[in-house]
Amino acid sequence: MQAISVMPELEPAEMPRLLSGSQALMECLVAEGVDTIFGYPGGAIMPVYDALYDFQEQINHILVRHEQGAGHAAQGYARMQGRAGVCLVTSGPGATNLVTAIADAQIDSTPLVCIVGQVGKKLLGTDAFQEADVMGVTMPITKWNYQITTADEVPEVMAKAFYIAQAGRPGPVLIDMTKSAQLELMTQPFVYEKCRTIISYRPRLLPKMEQLQAAAKLINGAKRPYIFAGHGVQISKAEAELLAFAEKTGIPVATTLLGQSTIPTNHPNYVGWLGMHGNYGPNVLTDQADVIIAIGMRFDDRVTGDASKYIRQAKVVHIEIDPSEIDKIIKAHAPVVGDAKEVLKALLPLVHDNDHTIWRNEFRKYDVIENETITTPELSGDTEKIKMAEVIDLLSRKTNGEAVLVTDVGQHQMMASRYYQFRRKNSLVTSGGMGTMGFALPAAFGAQVGAPDRQVVAIIGDGCFQMTLQELGTIVQNKQPVKAIILNNNFLGMVRQWQQLFHSRRYSFVELQNPNFVMIARGFGMEGHTCEAREALSDSLDKMLAHDGPYLLEVIVEKEENVFPMVPAGASVAQIRLK
Amino acid sequence: MTTYTICVFTSNSIGLLNRITIIFTRRRINIESLTVSETERNGVSRFTIVIKHESRDEVEKLVRQIRKIVEVLAVFGYLNDEIVYNEIALFKISTPLGSKPLDVETINKEHKAWVVYWGLDYVVIEKTGNETDIFAFFDYLRQYEILEFVRSGRVAVGKTEKGLVEYLPEADWAYTL
Repeated sequence: MQAISVMPELEPAEMPRLLSGSQALMECLVAEGVDTIFGYPGGAIMPVYDALYDFQEQINHILVRHEQGAGHAAQGYARMQGRAGVCLVTSGPGATNLVTAIADAQIDSTPLVCIVGQVGKKLLGTDAFQEADVMGVTMPITKWNYQITTADEVPEVMAKAFYIAQAGRPGPVLIDMTKSAQLELMTQPFVYEKCRTIISYRPRLLPKMEQLQAAAKLINGAKRPYIFAGHGVQISKAEAELLAFAEKTGIPVATTLLGQSTIPTNHPNYVGWLGMHGNYGPNVLTDQADVIIAIGMRFDDRVTGDASKYIRQAKVVHIEIDPSEIDKIIKAHAPVVGDAKEVLKALLPLVHDNDHTIWRNEFRKYDVIENETITTPELSGDTEKIKMAEVIDLLSRKTNGEAVLVTDVGQHQMMASRYYQFRRKNSLVTSGGMGTMGFALPAAFGAQVGAPDRQVVAIIGDGCFQMTLQELGTIVQNKQPVKAIILNNNFLGMVRQWQQLFHSRRYSFVELQNPNFVMIARGFGMEGHTCEAREALSDSLDKMLAHDGPYLLEVIVEKEENVFPMVPAGASVAQIRLK
Repeated sequence: MTTYTICVFTSNSIGLLNRITIIFTRRRINIESLTVSETERNGVSRFTIVIKHESRDEVEKLVRQIRKIVEVLAVFGYLNDEIVYNEIALFKISTPLGSKPLDVETINKEHKAWVVYWGLDYVVIEKTGNETDIFAFFDYLRQYEILEFVRSGRVAVGKTEKGLVEYLPEADWAYTL
């Protein structure tokens, strides 16, 4: 028997139902394969949250505790997944709270799609409740932003948003959606077409042959060539190509901060990492290379030191997808514009088999010095309190160098990079360019959501932790087994180090009276304990790693330790200090 | 200091002017003049931005940063001898009863300027030319009372036989009009 409909509003089957802007937005997210979003509701985004109520099967919305947390969590997620993280927040303060994460994603090339509510179209520019000029605020810190004022725009604009966020050099895209556009019905049936290209934005993936040949010529003629592997290697998933290239040519590889884990630290070609607190040899020998092959990196001032004195002797091959990075800081003699993976693939047959063992051994000489003056003493365990280095070193061994490390910003960040022996690719999530304190806890949460099969460990300073500790609530509510280690020295350690070295120990506002971190974690329903004694460190780490669920381990560390080596700000890399 | 003329071709969208100018302000580069108009191609806008700068390298970097904006189709940075350029100026001159009469012949023949509006006690003179021509004319007009003086920004086309369509052959734009 045929069912009889008594609902008069039911439309004939051939008439497609018209969607509201909010419903259209949900359909767009599903069409883009988005299964997780990080957000926080509020007045001007409520129609979208209402539509989301019907999409809970397809889309896992994670309620954070502060919009900045949503942004950093989406960053952690995006870095693990290699695709855009999505945030959903309300207008005004919701959007402005997201700004730090957007700026962070912009400078570290992390794909984000941030959907932000806005007051109704008629209220725009009237100083309405929770109205802020979010387009104006985010224009300098987004790859693209757009204000949606009609429901009909939604499919095309969202397709562009995902394309732009992820294509070429990735970055954050912000979509400011008026409440009126969320509520109104589209005037035509919803059709979604993925964006494949934009006439005004066509990043070059495949390199030009003449650029490749110029690069190959320099590389083949080099006596002391040197590879700098940056974040771009990870973004383009070119780790295997990097290894093949390095192994064929025998060229030593150093990484930038964000380039770490693109090559295993025990690989014979790996020599260490570059920059202000990077390794001794890699920094010093920068001045002795004759050809630098920079891959997916941008010669940040923390890498170059005084750029006017930097690699003046060397010819530079710069492999980079963003043409505006070529010649920006360092003149490239052989620029190769393209995707790192494609470039390395195409370059491999053009470069000769080589063996630069003698040159690579130069680095080992400096390693000996660094080990004797810094690494060995730091790990010797002869101080009263535990040193940060000991914690990371032990963690590295206990996790076989296979964990995802998510670090905050400061001394602990540098120590984590110095002492963790990365064995797997895509294993470091940190705030490099922006240096955002408070990044690690929400980013670790997002990374764990994005990589459920991996062990995610956040390394956090006591100062950083207090900037975003509310996200403990998010971690507990979502039952994510994030392990957080607070390296507590009761100081804003890096600032204190600078004050000690460059401001004659005038410790200006860097000492913290800290709360009981473990009690705070317990208050949120998270297990944890404090480790103060060196003898208890190993068991403490075991206990944390073995714990089923999230865990907070506070380690009380040496109060006034410094991170060395150090290239003082404004100095050249040759002036690196060992103490 | 060298004068550079930067021509930016963009798809026409709201907020783009802001997106372009913040690239200059962030680098503390002062914009001498700025003109925006729709081009011969439907939906394509043209920004002509004049700056003075001592470093060609820095200007090249600036051009690449502008090119990076998603809506920007093409950017060209020109030196003065690489372009045909002009601007327009309007002078409002007081001409009350009994004042010194205007020498319209000199204005027309020597300065190639034209009186475009006759008011009761004033006239408006239009002068087209480059900055030097316009300032020379300003000097000439000092003998009268200049009530108002306004200059447009520079407009410029490159000295090549190419059009925008040749830089972007895959685009299939109709003429605007």
